[in-house]
This record gives sequence, structure tokens and C-alpha cells, in this order.
Amino acid sequence: MTTLTDCSLTAVPSQIDCDICIVGSGFGGATAARILAVAGRDVVVLEEGGDFTGKSLTQRDAAMYDQLYVQRGGATTQDMGISLLAGRVLGGGGVINACDVVPAEDAIWRMWQKRFGLEEFSPEAMAPFARQALADLGARPIREEQINRNNAILRQGAAALGWRGEVMQHNRADHCKGLGTCLVGCPLDAKQNARITLIPKAIGAGARVLCRARAVRIEAGNSEQKRVQCRSLDRRGYHEQQAFEVRAKIVILAANPLGTVPLLLRSGLGNGHVGRSLSLQPQVPILALFEQPVDAFHGIPQSYAVTQFATCDEARGHGGFRIEGIMGTPGIVGSLVPQAGVAGKELMTQLRNIAASLLLLPDESVGRIALGGAGQAVVRYDLTAEWRQRARQAIRTAARAYFAAGAKTVVLPTVPPKMWTCEADLRQVDALSLAPATLPLLSAHQQGGVRMAASEKDGAADPTGRVFGTRDVYVMDSSGFPTTASSHTMAPILAVAHRQAARLAGRSKN
Amino acid sequence: MTARPLAFVTRRRVLQLGLGAGALALLGGGGLLWLRGAAPAIHDLKCLSPQQFRTLAAMARTHIPAGGPFAIGADEAELARAFDRYLADEPPGHVRDVKRALHLVEFGPILFDRRLTTFSHLPPADQRQHWLAWGQSDLLLRRQVWWGFAKFFGLVFYDRPEVWPHIGYPGPSLERLPA
Repeated sequence: MTTLTDCSLTAVPSQIDCDICIVGSGFGGATAARILAVAGRDVVVLEEGGDFTGKSLTQRDAAMYDQLYVQRGGATTQDMGISLLAGRVLGGGGVINACDVVPAEDAIWRMWQKRFGLEEFSPEAMAPFARQALADLGARPIREEQINRNNAILRQGAAALGWRGEVMQHNRADHCKGLGTCLVGCPLDAKQNARITLIPKAIGAGARVLCRARAVRIEAGNSEQKRVQCRSLDRRGYHEQQAFEVRAKIVILAANPLGTVPLLLRSGLGNGHVGRSLSLQPQVPILALFEQPVDAFHGIPQSYAVTQFATCDEARGHGGFRIEGIMGTPGIVGSLVPQAGVAGKELMTQLRNIAASLLLLPDESVGRIALGGAGQAVVRYDLTAEWRQRARQAIRTAARAYFAAGAKTVVLPTVPPKMWTCEADLRQVDALSLAPATLPLLSAHQQGGVRMAASEKDGAADPTGRVFGTRDVYVMDSSGFPTTASSHTMAPILAVAHRQAARLAGRSKN
Repeated sequence: MTARPLAFVTRRRVLQLGLGAGALALLGGGGLLWLRGAAPAIHDLKCLSPQQFRTLAAMARTHIPAGGPFAIGADEAELARAFDRYLADEPPGHVRDVKRALHLVEFGPILFDRRLTTFSHLPPADQRQHWLAWGQSDLLLRRQVWWGFAKFFGLVFYDRPEVWPHIGYPGPSLERLPA
């Protein structure tokens, strides 16, 4: 077995032995892999997705959704109210995100300390890990000339109304050309995701990385030697092929709540909190038509955020909402335009004039992941009345910003779409039910499901990330977050993984 | 793995709609099946039966018809074929749920509009009206079916290069970068 093995192409041994098996290769798993491999541990990383870099990332929405996203981009909550977007590719969610670096605020660390007894997560204690996360990401602000028209429109509208906003910071390299298709991967490898940065370093330190390798179940999770039952997948990642087993003393789960939680449940590991306290941060898409071309498919998709209405304090965590531009490639816009017939085609002929944004609304951790009959995850999530009310306010607010920027029509993608042409039309917002499957809501920042807490009665994992009731089975992804950590999870995942992995690395090998 | 599109179309949920004999007929193979008639043979289907494919093609054609601002529609882009190929690599449980959804749509005019004909046999104007009613329905199950198919149709159709000139999309930007 070489250090990076595509299991769809190469037969793997029926048994692989190592010190530490890491499931998932996003920023959580890759951070742990690098730190632990550098510390001299024998590390094996399992990734269900394939290895995509450079021109294998074709900028085509349908094909890339199929290959880079969980369930070929089709995962949803059980009621189909919310699409669940998560990476299934070597490098994880960082391969398909918009590069937004938004560290956790001190108020969040304090909230976790006070509400969940995570004493060691004080802002002071987390500061070095948060700094290391930013260094790993190469985080830097977007340059003024990199703000595309779609984001500039949002900024213009907010400025006209006197609202606060910010140019975001990203983890993109200097050779970023603003190709505009970040959500389906960067063919220039300008995104400094885990595949580009951390995984090569982990491999350089001796880690073995297997892609197209599905972890099915963990056996003997309470014993010193764990057995991770795996299957290799075919070239497209659709079908299982060969069975093999990874034997390890320590197992680290970092496969996003959508992968981590079902693996624990299938393995019968953990307490009754496993699967509970899931946060989805549902997002509402909104479009606007302008007289002049916007070309939202061109340039960096998310570079400006309206932050005027976002709140964060240690009593309640994140609240309010943010408004952020989003990319407008034809497949993605086409999947969000809920208009059938010729009218739908007519709307799409105005693609160049469509501005698009997402309303990011933090939520309570009200979701739950359970197992379906075939061992698959079933995500149950009911929008709260408070969230719906806040969403109505966010929709009204975003529409006002677009009108202030000169939009001729604001489009909310209900069936049929609401087409508002003036602020007076926004009275209709109060009547929106926001019932499931009336709007194409999205979730790109799943968190929780294996909540960390000081006590077993309050959570599923201890403050080190060890799953209660197991011997050395850890979570090092957003699954362990007690509440939503940030509007964008990449930086907090890195910071927490740094902390947990450094702690493990400091332990004696035996 | 999480819930897949249309994974909600379970037998139990259809029965919960209280549709009585009509629902039982469409799920169990009862006396109303003759209304949909036989579908002509269609070659090279990967997953769906000819009847199921006919329903799917009618839905796709209704959602994205030929004509209007540009000629190409679902038929020209072979959206139903693309969906059939997509399904061929999906888990069996999801395939089963999609087939149930297709049955439900095919018998929708009988179940919801009290008409004695099936969706694929409706005139195009009636198909449009009936399909819109799925998206606007008070029944969650009907809205779920609508979105499940609509997202796929929109994603795949507008990702086709032959459609791009008609919507002003210049194509993947990497190809347009100066050397």
C-alpha cells in the first residue's frame, strides 16, 4: 500500500494495522492526521470520496455534485425541507466550500465553558489553537478588486440603508483567478483546503491515506484494539467492492455529523445523546433581477457579508442573520428556480442579470440523526417558530437591500416564485408559512450530534472528544460542537481539532 | 448516508393520505392500472419500466417544455434518460421510493382531481396545471415529490452546454482564461 491509495484502483490488504485510524479527511481529520503523524504515530486515514484536484474538477455543476458531495448532492432532511450539502471527497468540505474563514467568537467559547462544562475551552486557552487554524488556512481578507458584482450589489444596498457589513477573509492562494465555481471545486487548486495543504504534510510524515474507502462499522470499540470494518468502492464511488479491516488502538471520527453519527450508531457505540443536538444552520436562497448584467457565475462567490443583523453573546450564542452573496452557475440557479413551463425558461434566460444570495440563520440544536432500516442516517429537523419568524425578517431585509441597490424584481423561490417589484410587495412576507418543501432551504454547516460536555448526562463526548462509553474513540469534527460555533465552520473545526489532536499527540504511545 | 430525495414516499405514508382504494390500486396493482395503458417499448432503459419512463418523461417535458424563449426542452436534452441512468447507481431503497413517486404522479389526476385518466395521458395544458398543483399543494408529500424531481430537472438541464447560449452563460471559466 502506498501512502495515498485509491481503493477503487488498487487492491488493499484484508487487514491493515496502525496506531490511529482516522475516518474522514476534511479539516478535522486532516489536522489530526498531520499532528499525530508528525508526532510519530502510525496513522491511517479513510475517506469515502475520491481524489479530485486540478482539471479533474470540471466546473460542471451536475457532474461535480455527483462526485464531490454526500449522496451525489441529493441528501436531505427526512421531510425534504432542507438540502444537506457536505463534502464526500478527499479534503472534505473545504474542497467544495466558498473559502469563508470566520473564527469562533470568544463568546462562544465562554458559552461552551459555562453551559456544557468545557472548562478548557476558555478564549485564552483556545487562542493559540485558533491562531494555528488561521495559519494553516493562510487566511487573509479578500482584496477590493476581487469583489464581484454580485457581492458589490449587496454591499451597495446595505450601504445605502446604513447597514454594517464586512469584506470576508478567505483561505485562497494568490493564484486564485476568481473562476466563480468554488462550490464545485477549484481546478486551479487555489483553495487552500485540506487536500492541498494538510494531507500532503500528513503523508510526508508517514500517514497512509486511503480514498474510496468506506468505514462501515467499528467493532470492539471498548477494547484496546479496535477493528474498523471497511469496504472499498468502485471508481465512481457508487458501489461497494472489497471488504477489509483496519485495526487500531485509537479511532478518530471526522466525517461530518452526517458520516460520524451513523457510524457510531451502526457500531452501537456511545450513549443516548449520540445523534441528538444537531444544528443545521438552515439557509434561505433569494434572487434579484437587475437591468444590467450581474454575472454572478463570475468571480469569487462569497466576499461580502451584511452583518448588521447578526448577534452573538455567551448567553444565547449566535442569533439574528447574515446575508451573503452566492455563486450563480446555471445548474445551481436552475435547481433553485421553482418555476415550471415556459415561464421558468424565461426566468433562466435572465441568468446574467440574476443576483443571488443566501440568508444564514443560526439555529438551536433541535435536529436529530437516527438510523434508517438500511443503516443509513435519517435526519429529523423541525424549524422552530422563532427561526421562521427570524427568516421572514431576513427575507424582508435582503429584499430591501436589493431594492436599495436598484433591483427591478426580487425573487423568492417558492412555488410559483414570489416576484416582488417594490417594497410594498414585501407585506406578503408575513404570510409565508415556511412549511417544509415550500422553499429550497440549504444546510452547509452541520454541527453537533456527538455533543461534547463535561458530564455524560449532558452530552455524548467528553471535553477531549472521547465518545462516552468507549475506549479511545474520538470525534474531531463539527459533530462534537455543543452549539453552532460560527456562521462558517471551517476555522472552528480546525481550532478544536488542533486542541484535541495535540492533546492526543502528547500522550504516551502505550 | 442520509435520506435521499424521494425517500419519504413510503407505502405507509401514501396510505396515510387516506386515498383508499385508489392508492391501494396504484401500489398493489389493482383494477385502475388499465387506465395508464401499455407504454411503447423503450430501449436501453437502465432502471425504469417503459410505463415509469413515460411518466417521468411527461413530467420532465411539463417542467421544461420545448419552445418559448428557446427551442430546447427536456426531450431534446434527454432529461428522463439522464434520470434513469442516475437511478441505476442509486441504492435499491431509493429506486423503490422513486418508482412509488412516479406511480403516484401518474395516478395523480385520478387521486386528486377525480379524473379518469392518468398524468401521461393528459393534454399538455392539463399536465402543466396538474404538475403546478403538486408544487403548491397543502400536502407535504406532493410538495416533496415536486421538489425532488424539479431540482434534478433544473440542475441537469441548465448544466447542458447546448442550453448555455440561450441563457447567456459563457461556459466554464477555466477554458476562457488567457493562456
